Amino acid sequence: MAALIVEVVYRGIFQKNLAARIARGIVLSARKSGRWGIAFGRYGDSPQRNGIPAKDFAIVADTKEELEQNMARYEPKHTDVTIVLDDTLGKGVESWAWYGLQPINKLTVAGGTVLMTSLRSFDDLLKDIHKKDEPYTLALIRAKASFSGLWVYREDHTEVRMLGALARVAPQFLTLDGVCEAIREMEWGSDLKVASARKAFDRLETRPVRITEGNPEVPYSFEMPKWWEMREGVTIPAIPVGKPKEAGKGYVPERNPYFKKYTTRTMRPVIDFDTCVKCNLCWISCPDSCFDVMPDGTFDANMEACCGCGVCEAVCPVEHCITMVNESAFDDNASQWEAWRRDKGAYKTWLVDTIGNKKVTVRSHGFRFRGQYEEELKQDLDAGGVEITAGIPGENAAHKTL
Amino acid sequence: MADATTFTNATQILEPFRGIKRVTIEEYFTSGHRTCQGCESALVMKLMVKAAGPRTIVLGSTGCMYVANTTYYTTPWVVPWMHTQLGSSGSAALGTAAGLKSLMRKGKMKAEPINVIAFCGDGGGADMGIGAISATLTHKEYNSLILLYDNESYANTDIQLSGLTPYGAHTTFSPPGKVHRLIHRRWKKNMAGMMAAGHPECRYVATVCASYAVEMMNKVRRALTIGGPTFIHSLDPCPKGWDYDPMLSHEMGELAIETGLFPLYEVEDGVVKYYGKTKALVDGRPRKPVREYLLKQGRFAHFTEEDLAHFQSKVDEMWQQWEIPAVVPFRRVDATKAALDVK
Repeated sequence: MAALIVEVVYRGIFQKNLAARIARGIVLSARKSGRWGIAFGRYGDSPQRNGIPAKDFAIVADTKEELEQNMARYEPKHTDVTIVLDDTLGKGVESWAWYGLQPINKLTVAGGTVLMTSLRSFDDLLKDIHKKDEPYTLALIRAKASFSGLWVYREDHTEVRMLGALARVAPQFLTLDGVCEAIREMEWGSDLKVASARKAFDRLETRPVRITEGNPEVPYSFEMPKWWEMREGVTIPAIPVGKPKEAGKGYVPERNPYFKKYTTRTMRPVIDFDTCVKCNLCWISCPDSCFDVMPDGTFDANMEACCGCGVCEAVCPVEHCITMVNESAFDDNASQWEAWRRDKGAYKTWLVDTIGNKKVTVRSHGFRFRGQYEEELKQDLDAGGVEITAGIPGENAAHKTL
Repeated sequence: MADATTFTNATQILEPFRGIKRVTIEEYFTSGHRTCQGCESALVMKLMVKAAGPRTIVLGSTGCMYVANTTYYTTPWVVPWMHTQLGSSGSAALGTAAGLKSLMRKGKMKAEPINVIAFCGDGGGADMGIGAISATLTHKEYNSLILLYDNESYANTDIQLSGLTPYGAHTTFSPPGKVHRLIHRRWKKNMAGMMAAGHPECRYVATVCASYAVEMMNKVRRALTIGGPTFIHSLDPCPKGWDYDPMLSHEMGELAIETGLFPLYEVEDGVVKYYGKTKALVDGRPRKPVREYLLKQGRFAHFTEEDLAHFQSKVDEMWQQWEIPAVVPFRRVDATKAALDVK
C-alpha cells in the first residue's frame, strides 16, 4: 500500500516532448508492472518558453484508491524521485510561475532520489545543487542533456534510459520487464530502445548525499505582495529608468526585481573586453537588455538578466570576443567587467582557459538545420551523441566543434 | 477653439537616429520579462519604446508580449503600459489618443504631444483585430501607431496557426501526417500592403525587422512624427514556434529579408519606398533561395523538394508579377490591358 511520486524537471520547449514521453512512459510502465499511474504537467508552467524550467509529474500507486488520493492535489508537495533532464538545472529552478529560486531537490523526500543526466562528476554537481536538511541519493545517467524543439524530436534514447533507471531506483513500483514491455508497445518505442533501457538500468551510478554536502548559498527569494497591498485597477508601479554606471558615465538599466534569469540559462556569454570594438551590436540586439554599458564604452552581460540565448555571440563581429560557454562552468553570477578591471592579466588567463575548453563551449541548443540530429547521433549514442555545430555553420562553427 | 484642436494634433518631432552610436542609451522596456531565449518580439518592444522615448503610452493586446511580460504583479515596462483585449489594439489606440486629446482640450492635463503606441500579435492584429485597426486608420485626427509583431502563429498558447502563418508550416493546428503532408495550404496575408492600399488617409505604413535595429527604430520614429494613425508590421523570428536554435534569431530575420520573402518598405503619403536589403533586391541583387531560410527551421522539416519549389515559385510570383513587387498583389497594369485587348 504505497505510492511513488515522480517529478520531471526540464527546460521549457527544448525538452517538452522528451518530458511528456517520460511521464507517459512511467504510467504505461506502471500498468505493465501491475500498478496504476497518472501523469500531468504543471498548470503554472504553461505557456512554456524556451529554456525556462518546467515540470511534469507522474504518480504510480498500488491501488486505484491511492492513485485517486494523490490526484486530488493540485500538484505534489513532496516527490520520491526528482528526474532532472539537464544538469545546469542543478543550480535551481525558477519556473515562470514561481517567484524566487527553488533548489532542485526542494521537493525530494528524505531518502529520495535526484536522478539526473550528466557527464560531470558527483562532486562537481554538488557545487551547484543546494544543501538539503535531509539525506538523499544522487543518481546519474551518463548522457548529455537532450535538447530539441517543438516539432523535430531528437531520438537519442534519453527517455528510455530514464525509464530504465527509474526501474532501478524504485523496483517496488516499476519492474524492469514492465518498463521494457511498455517501451516496446509505445509508438516511439523499439527493440533498440528496450536495449538502451536495460543498459541504463545496469549502468546507473548512485551516491548518497549527506546533509553537510551541497551548495551553501541561500537561494534568491523575496516577499510576494499581499492581496491588501494591491492597488485599484490592478495597477503596479513602472520600473525606474536606470542610472549611469559610475561618475556620470555608462548606463545600467533598472530591472524587474521579481524575475531573475539565474536558472533560465544553459549557457552564458564570456566577453573579451580587450578585443571589444564597442560596436554596440550585442547591446542593441539583446532581447533581454542584459548588457550594462560600462564607463569605457564596453558592455558587461549582467547575469541577473541574461537568459543565455546566444544572439550576442551571433551578432558580434569580432572573433572570440563573445563566446557562449556552458553554464556548468561557472560557480557565481559576478560581473566579468569588474574582474577584468581588477586584474586584466588574470582575466585574460581565465578567459583563454574558459573559451579554449571545447568541452564547455559546446552545447546543443536546438535545431540548426535539417538532418543535424541524425548526423550528431551517428556516433556516441550512449553519451547522447556529439554536437557538430554549436556555432553557426559557415560562420563560427569550426572553432566550437569538438 | 480651433487653435486648441490644432495644437493637440501636434506630434513629437523625433529625428531619425544617424547610426547605432547615436541611439538613445536608456531602456524603456527593460529586463525581467519571461519570454523565450532569443525572443525577437521582446527585442521589438525594447527598440520600439527606445525609439519613441519616455513621453509614450503603450497599449498591448493579449499575446506573448502581454502574458510573458507582465505576469502576476511584475513588469519590465518603464513607460506607462496597459493591457487591452485580444482583438482591440485598434480601439485602444484610438480611445487613448482621443482621451488624451480631450483631457488636454479641457485643461485637465498639460497640453503636450504624447506618443500612443498599441501593439498586437499576428493573431490579435491580422486575425481578430483587423477590423478595429482598419477603423482606427481612417480616423486621421488622432495620432497613434499600431505595431503588429508577427511571429507567424499564436505563439503564446503554444503555436496555433494564424492568418500570418506561412504556407505549409508545422503548427499545433497543422501537424504534418502520413496521409496529408501539408495541412496548412493558405498563403500568408499581406497585412502591410492591405493596410496601405485600403486606407488612403493613413499617412504612413511600414514593414520592419528587428534584425536591422536602427532602421527599425527610425521607421517607428517616422510613424510617430508624421501624425495621424499609422501602422507598422514587424516580422519577428520565434525560436519556439519556428523551432530553431535561439542563437539564430538575428540570422533568421536577415534571411527572411534576403530571400525576398518579407520585403522592407515604407509607404508615406501613398509613395512606396523600399529600404535596406530589400532596396538592394529591387535594384537587382539576386534574392537568396528560400530553401536557405526554410531548411533552418524545424517547422518546415517535413517539406519535400516539391514543397520547397512551390514555396519558391510563390515568392518569385510576388516579385515578378505583382504590380508593386512584393507590396501589392495586383497584376501589372500593362498585363491587365493586354488581357483586355485580347478580349
